[in-house]
Amino acid sequence: MSTYIPEEVDIKQNSNGTAVTETTLLQTAEALRWQIGRNFHDQLMEDIYTNAARIADRAITRAGEQPRFDLDSTIDRIVTSRRWGFPLMALLFAVVFWITIVGSNYPSQALAWLLVDTLHPLLRSGADLIGLPWWLSGLLVDGMYLATAWVVSVMLPPMAIFFPLFTLLEDFGYLPRVAFNLDNLFRKSGAHGKQALSMMMGFGCNAAGVVATRVIDSPRERLIAIVTNNFALCNGRWPTQILIATLFIGSLVPAYLAGLVSALAVVGVAMLGVLLSFVVSWGLSRTILKGEVSTFSLELPPYRPPRIWQTIYTSLIDRTLIVLWRAVTFALPAGAVIWLTANITLGDRSLAAHLINLLDPFAWLLGLNGVILLAYVVAIPANEIVIPTILMLTVLVTGATDVGSGAGVMFELEGAAVKDLFLAGGWTLLTAVNLMLFSLIHNPCSTTIYTIYKETGSKKWTLIAALLPVVMGFMVTFLVAQVWRLVSGNW
Amino acid sequence: MPHPLLILAIAALLLCLTAILIWPRKGLLALWQNNRRLSSRVLGEDALKHIHKSELHGRRPTVESIAGALQISTNETAVLLDTLQNQQLLELRAGDIHLTPDGRDSALHIIRAHRLWERYLADETGFGAAEWHDQAEHLEHHLTPAELDALEAQLNYPTHDPHGDPIPSARGDMIGHGGKPLTALPVDQPGQIVHLEDEPSIVYAQLVAEGLHVGMPVRVTERTPERVRFWSSGNEHVLAPIVAGNVSVVPVPAEAETAVGAGYETLADIPLGSRAEVVALSPACRGAERRRFLDLGILPGTVIQAEMRSPSGDPTAYRIRGALIALRRAQAKLIKVKREST
Repeated sequence: MSTYIPEEVDIKQNSNGTAVTETTLLQTAEALRWQIGRNFHDQLMEDIYTNAARIADRAITRAGEQPRFDLDSTIDRIVTSRRWGFPLMALLFAVVFWITIVGSNYPSQALAWLLVDTLHPLLRSGADLIGLPWWLSGLLVDGMYLATAWVVSVMLPPMAIFFPLFTLLEDFGYLPRVAFNLDNLFRKSGAHGKQALSMMMGFGCNAAGVVATRVIDSPRERLIAIVTNNFALCNGRWPTQILIATLFIGSLVPAYLAGLVSALAVVGVAMLGVLLSFVVSWGLSRTILKGEVSTFSLELPPYRPPRIWQTIYTSLIDRTLIVLWRAVTFALPAGAVIWLTANITLGDRSLAAHLINLLDPFAWLLGLNGVILLAYVVAIPANEIVIPTILMLTVLVTGATDVGSGAGVMFELEGAAVKDLFLAGGWTLLTAVNLMLFSLIHNPCSTTIYTIYKETGSKKWTLIAALLPVVMGFMVTFLVAQVWRLVSGNW
Repeated sequence: MPHPLLILAIAALLLCLTAILIWPRKGLLALWQNNRRLSSRVLGEDALKHIHKSELHGRRPTVESIAGALQISTNETAVLLDTLQNQQLLELRAGDIHLTPDGRDSALHIIRAHRLWERYLADETGFGAAEWHDQAEHLEHHLTPAELDALEAQLNYPTHDPHGDPIPSARGDMIGHGGKPLTALPVDQPGQIVHLEDEPSIVYAQLVAEGLHVGMPVRVTERTPERVRFWSSGNEHVLAPIVAGNVSVVPVPAEAETAVGAGYETLADIPLGSRAEVVALSPACRGAERRRFLDLGILPGTVIQAEMRSPSGDPTAYRIRGALIALRRAQAKLIKVKREST
């Protein structure tokens, strides 16, 4: 495309010999402006870039890159090949998840033993020893300390294993190839291939997943990735899914199939989350986000040997500790709130009992119960404490005396005892299924919400990211509950 | 407890009511906002704009034509014109409607606002071409001259809107695009698109769907009363004359012509392993996308090699100045290249 810039303009000759004044000069400029061509700025930019590139090409000689090149292309040919690309990807991530689950089991138990089973009674007796009033020791030790201890023991080990492994793959240069392989799938839903990475990170922790969207440089696709990250079933929600699936779904089939069926149910929920994130991405990119700027580019950097110690150090500092610190700062007040709702009495009942009564009719419409909804409200800082809170509140409501450690004190139980407690609380199979669905489709935890606000700097997008999933969760559980009752004829 | 069917019915009813209330463009909320928008000031400004446009095209503005453009009754139009006359924005001379200098300034301000905003939407946001006009039509009444000056400076003083219409300067100067309809371009005469008419929107939507943009080279190969057949940027287009008439072109001297037909190749056409030299970036590549390409060093003269394709078929990774960059197919089509002979 050519522009028609006048070769030479002599403004002294423009009028009939009169002197050039500011006014005539401006008029001339205005008139010439229409002659210089409409793509003047683009043309100028392009010319500057082109000239710079020509000068650089002349002046710089590059040497010695050829050999490394070839190794890179060989690896690239394998990891992006039609035959090996996808199986390799699936295998690598399966290994990463397997190491995380198996590896974090023992440290988690050890931490729980130390922080919850040992240190908690110690602190309690210590508080009694120095003569703290019951409400203060309850608030501090049973409320704030216990909630925080719980979050740390469940959250820390998987994150300390998952994040370094993930960062190693990133450092090696493999993750951009995953985005490259999967981009077509994400393109069809209006998203960026790198959303695969933030989603994967979201399986570890949604707050970290939201931070990971920084690699997406296109504003629209980055917002999509942030808003939909919550549909990646995070580490804090896996235990809820596994517990409920084992107790209620595994028990539907003969014992030898129970393990398989409940595992399939959990994987099914996780897959539903992936599906939802595609559907919601598609919807967002065509409605509220269509005005945001969208560009695509994906750099595939050269491979390099991972710097193992540096990677472990930075991933522990950058990801694990930051996320953990945020979770702890939110868990402390939440622990206090949980303890207070269970221990403040209005009239003849605790505040929690009043709230549960208030929420019960609405919860019934969703096929859940007031205890579950209240647990999701007070345990918003971390999904890890939802189940302990539900257990504590169920004891409070049913008045069971043989389990638990008193009002406002969260606890966990083994298998059958939990189920008996839930059944006493009026749970059915529908309650269990809808709890699994609601655990997948509800608002992000407050740590994630705060991270979304930090990352987007926008109240509007934070609000949308927080409300969209919970509204969707209400709709899904509502529909399931009504259809379930209709089919079973039992309401 | 109530019957589930009853609950479902109530929920469906609530959902319908919400939809009726907040549905974009057709919902009650949108209609109410639209109604409020049609205040007499907005109508007056639209009328001035219509009269100015008619004068520019040498047509005679009438009460009927204004009523038609504003979609209000002729009675309402008469009242409106009376108000505008009292505000000394227009005058009636020998039964004809004319703008006063104040009226012309007012009309030019609205046109300036409209076209600058369209430029902004095209360059700085992700909204598609079909949405520019409607949004600008709404916002043109709410921008002050000072805001327009700031917007103009931010956009680097553009001279034309994305459809090729000139943007009046703050002093009110503008020069038309000077093109003639594509239907008037002689067969085999190389030309360049300078303007795409954005009204009526259904015709414009067709032009957008054809992938036509201001700045594209064209060459007509066949013209009959039923259709116009032409090449542009490597694609052959066939349009009805009424649609083609909304495309304005200027003739280009034969020596400045760039290949539009068979010889036109984009980066997307380069087979894996081959190298090609960039000739130009398509005019369809604007704003952030264009800047990103320039940042990556995709410039006229850059040699690019197609290296590998994603197992899912898209994107393709290209070796650009030593870096491996993946581009989607739709993007690669925006880069015009010349294949290197091996």
